[in-house]
Amino acid sequence: MIGNLPMILVGAVLIAVFSIIIGLLLMGFDRIVAARMQARIGPPLTQPFTDIRKLLAKENVVPENAIPWLFNLAPVLALASAITILLYLPIAGFAPVLSGGGDLILVMYLLTIPALALVAGGFASGSPYATVGAQREMVTMIAYEFPLAIVIIAIAWKLAAAGIALPFTLASIQANPVWSLVGPLGVIGLLILLIVLLIVTPAELSRVPFDTPEAETELAGGILVEYSGKNLALFSLTQGVKTVAMASLVVALFFPYSLAAILGIAGIPAAVTDILFFIVLITIVAFLSVSLVRVSMARFRINQVISVYWIYLAIAGLAGLLLVMTDQIVGVI
Amino acid sequence: MAFATSLSSGFGIWDPVLWIIAIIIGLVIAWLLWRSGVSAYKKGTDQARPYLSGNPEPSKGDVHIRAGNLYWGFTEGIKGYYQRVIPLHTGIATDYLLWIFWVAGILLIIVMVV
Repeated sequence: MIGNLPMILVGAVLIAVFSIIIGLLLMGFDRIVAARMQARIGPPLTQPFTDIRKLLAKENVVPENAIPWLFNLAPVLALASAITILLYLPIAGFAPVLSGGGDLILVMYLLTIPALALVAGGFASGSPYATVGAQREMVTMIAYEFPLAIVIIAIAWKLAAAGIALPFTLASIQANPVWSLVGPLGVIGLLILLIVLLIVTPAELSRVPFDTPEAETELAGGILVEYSGKNLALFSLTQGVKTVAMASLVVALFFPYSLAAILGIAGIPAAVTDILFFIVLITIVAFLSVSLVRVSMARFRINQVISVYWIYLAIAGLAGLLLVMTDQIVGVI
Repeated sequence: MAFATSLSSGFGIWDPVLWIIAIIIGLVIAWLLWRSGVSAYKKGTDQARPYLSGNPEPSKGDVHIRAGNLYWGFTEGIKGYYQRVIPLHTGIATDYLLWIFWVAGILLIIVMVV
């Protein structure tokens, strides 16, 4: 694998460029559809690119109470770790850049690193608003990990029960779409698990109704209140890349299909078809889990976030897991 | 290939060396982007004071979040659970031993039956 280092380097750069561009476009798309749902025109699709260019040209203020090295390191670490997650996920039907280097359990833990970087940056800001925001981010992170773990374990369990080797690896999931392994009960269970994962996504991205760590109207931006200039630009880019990562995870777990293979296309047209198909899929996921939810709901209080994830979604996830298990037992009998 | 599956459980794999390589590449990309922005600001001016909606800054002790406050949302969200569990922590060692025996016994029955 070490001999593949040049390939890993090229793959990482390509994934970084792809995820930043698509992430910013998704953010632009989100703003447009949210505006249209609120009977507004909204900004142009490329507005996030303009925002990033503007932020990079602005002063990068480091507050006098801050720990400067940690305050500046946090956004760099957040973006780097968000890009790294995508190296473990299949993108547009292509195998992950680090295929064979990690599995879903690793992806689940890697998803916490950008959030931890944000927490470190919040605490390093030396601002009361940011400290409260960082505290809330930690609590939110603990909350959504539980239902996320249930979804991942349910899918891996189903693959293991079907006799598939290395069930936690994305290559196994990509080669064996989970819908094809279950009966009617299992389909209902998987639909519940899909909904649970779609509700985990806005919390991963700190979006309404789970944006309690930022809470503009209450904490004036909370965890990001002291960030400006290029540091804020990097956190915005992280947001875009994480949107792509979470949508890619949903697609990899539940829709690992190749449109080119279905249509019988080969060669370069197949790659183009699959890339476009992938972009459409992640746009639909981002619309359902981010735009639609944030327009139709108000922010939860931090204690409500815990109740939603640890009680309602955990029960829903366990019900989904139970249905998938029952389906397997009924199928065997 | 042994290098690529340096930590293989039979269910999943992960290679810490590859992750370190990947995060270094990610850090370089992120740092290059960070470096392309402006670094300057007016040190020692009001610009660098913490933003508190125009209010005077309280003393550090007044706004310090203690370990007990850190998980406030968590303990508040599942208050019903904590209200039942906290009284069980009597601080008496024999009570804790009894709990261990009970739980071990139940687990043993589950393992034997299943």
